[in-house]
Amino acid sequence: MFKKGFFRLLVVAAVILTVTGLSGEVFAQRFKGVTIRVFTQTPPYIAKPVMIHKADWEKETGGKVELITAPFAELYTKMYSSFALKAKAYDIVIYCSGWLGDFASNNFLLSLDDFIKKDTRIDWTDVLTVYRERVAAWGPTVFGIPLDGDSHMCYYRKDAIENTEYQKRFAEKYGYSLTPPRTWEQYRDIAEFFHGWDWDGDGRIEYGAVEFMRKGGQSSWLFFSRAAAYVSIPGQHGLFFNPDTMDALVDSPGHVKALKDWIEILKFGYPGMIGFDSGEVRTIYHLGETCLGIDWGDIGVLSDTGPESKVRGKVGYTILPGATSVWDYRKAKWIGFPIENAAPYLAFGGWVGSVDVNSPNKEAAYDFLSYLSSPDISYIDVTTPETGFNPYRKSHFAKLDRWYKFGFVNPAAYLGAIESTIAHPNVQVDLRIPGTAEYMEALETEITKALAGEKTAEKAMADVAKEWNRITEKLGKDKQKKYFRESLGMPVW
Amino acid sequence: MKNLLAAFTGKKVGRVFLAPTVVILLLLTIFPFLFSISLTFGRVSLTGGLGIHFAGIRNWIRLFQDDRFGNAMRNTLFMAIVTVTVQYLLGLGLAMLLNNEKIKGRGIFRVLFLLPMMLSPIAVGYMWRMMFGTLNGPINGILIRLGFAPVEWITNTRIAIYSVILTDIWQWTPFMFLILFAGLQTIPKGLIEAAQADGASSWQQFRHVIFPLLAPATVAAVLLRLLEAFKIIDIIYILTGGGPGMKTESMTLFGYSKGLGTFDLAYGSTIAFSLFITVMVVSIILLLGLREVQEIRLE
Repeated sequence: MFKKGFFRLLVVAAVILTVTGLSGEVFAQRFKGVTIRVFTQTPPYIAKPVMIHKADWEKETGGKVELITAPFAELYTKMYSSFALKAKAYDIVIYCSGWLGDFASNNFLLSLDDFIKKDTRIDWTDVLTVYRERVAAWGPTVFGIPLDGDSHMCYYRKDAIENTEYQKRFAEKYGYSLTPPRTWEQYRDIAEFFHGWDWDGDGRIEYGAVEFMRKGGQSSWLFFSRAAAYVSIPGQHGLFFNPDTMDALVDSPGHVKALKDWIEILKFGYPGMIGFDSGEVRTIYHLGETCLGIDWGDIGVLSDTGPESKVRGKVGYTILPGATSVWDYRKAKWIGFPIENAAPYLAFGGWVGSVDVNSPNKEAAYDFLSYLSSPDISYIDVTTPETGFNPYRKSHFAKLDRWYKFGFVNPAAYLGAIESTIAHPNVQVDLRIPGTAEYMEALETEITKALAGEKTAEKAMADVAKEWNRITEKLGKDKQKKYFRESLGMPVW
Repeated sequence: MKNLLAAFTGKKVGRVFLAPTVVILLLLTIFPFLFSISLTFGRVSLTGGLGIHFAGIRNWIRLFQDDRFGNAMRNTLFMAIVTVTVQYLLGLGLAMLLNNEKIKGRGIFRVLFLLPMMLSPIAVGYMWRMMFGTLNGPINGILIRLGFAPVEWITNTRIAIYSVILTDIWQWTPFMFLILFAGLQTIPKGLIEAAQADGASSWQQFRHVIFPLLAPATVAAVLLRLLEAFKIIDIIYILTGGGPGMKTESMTLFGYSKGLGTFDLAYGSTIAFSLFITVMVVSIILLLGLREVQEIRLE
């Protein structure tokens, strides 16, 4: 009896052990034999997180990750051609979220709603609302998994602006106190004040500001970062198109004013910055050459953690400056704001990952994206040098330990500026409709001519508007209007 | 047997054997060429597969109304003519110099002169971008030490195009040198010795013996370099991105940004074909001109 009972127990135990063991094995090897091809930018930036985590994911799932990369300027073209020609060249694409509308409206991307609902790892509500509901979605459907939070912010040198002697001299010259810039006029004055002299006592001449202006060097985003405050009245959408008519608004006096400001800042900028891309701006700023700078979160990272940084602990962070007069395109007049109108701009909007709707490996592809975006893994990425990823989850802002380990002197200030930008009630999301690349190319072509003095700001912006309207007509005005309204979350007629 | 042999040697069989090559050639060259021409009269939609719609001469009208086209064409012509002329003169000078047997270490110099040509144009672009740095570049570093003001080599609207030209000259003068040096080596020494015996000065030897005999090499070198110079993109892309403004944008960069930057493939093809026609016309003019030079030589 004992023997029989013991034998039964042994069999049950063996069965349990086998089943649990097997299921563990099956779970662990659930993507065995599957190779997913991930396409993104040339390393280190953006591709690095894939390189860091692929081995762990492969070990966990049995799948393989093949990383394919190309320079930024070639990403859109290669992705679009792979999708449009149904080449299935990539299972996952990691790309600028501004292109999501273009891809999603053409049915190139897999809807991720059902995957997310079933996913216990991704902790979807931890992702900040603006990224979850606007940046990663097209209409009500989620097509992308956010991997990065991107917004422009303003950097300033604390040792310059908080210097009492300089504060006194500045107040005498300009008639108001020297503080971090709250308007673009103040930004200009501060740049002028700190331009062309050795204000940090290192024996070298410093300059007022550094910004990226090179065509093809992401300058269109910087232009809209400057224009947003002049044209974005809260509740209106004055930055790109009139959502009722789909007429381009980029020739408005507000846009022209922004371009004029930008042309003027050349006088107080680092020599040669008209030809700089964002990488050069970061290098110049963290070497302590200028007082002000505009960038995504990268200057902040490089300044405190870069091995060659000369400004560690000396950099202050604030949201983009605002404007006290804002162009109301509906009333066609300037509106005065007693307190400046700030309109921080989610330039680029961050990198997102999507799955090709025709991918033969949809489950594995989603699983890898979910793994990359999961709270613990993404926290490593946003606090590791050269990933190019900035915080986009609530948990990224809440835990400061790794930020200190990362090398930040005052992570709370850095994260606070980013959070103030993202959570701002008048935050502006990037253009996300079909043809975005063409619209931006047309914009960059004309603003670069104005910056080089080949055209006036008025003529340049008038030509941009003309070209934008031509592109809209070419792509179909009604369709574009529908997409634009969808991208803004407005009802479609 | 005879019939069989005839069957294997006849014209028909020859055609059969040639057919695969012809088909491949047609597929790889003629078809894309014709397809590109057809694109210039179309409107391309990549949405939902490749859709081409007939658009008449709309792309061509747009091209001739586009300020950017005129600007890019002027820049390209200017850069091509200046770079090829300077490259020819420098290449000829270097070839003449190293053709002189009295110069020691000619082999080492020959290898050194060829080095720039062996680099990738992208690498050359980055290298010169660093060299031209306004405050941290070595060229301005030297100028500043000598008491001069730094020069905005690639960001000044008046200077940038010359910086591109300088970079191209640096990279491709070795190519001119190589072909002209090879040409010089083929000139019989007896002819030069005869000219010397007749009391011809060095200039007369060059003008009446060396230069005319070098004409075939000159034609090849100038034509090849000119064709390449018209297509310049990589150095400009890295060095200036076509800026400041549009001051250094070439035709190829213009076509690239329209065709592949914004996926306006029809307009991109139109730009490419306008460049093709320009290069054809310039090449024909050049060949006719050089043929006349050769005919004079033969006389």
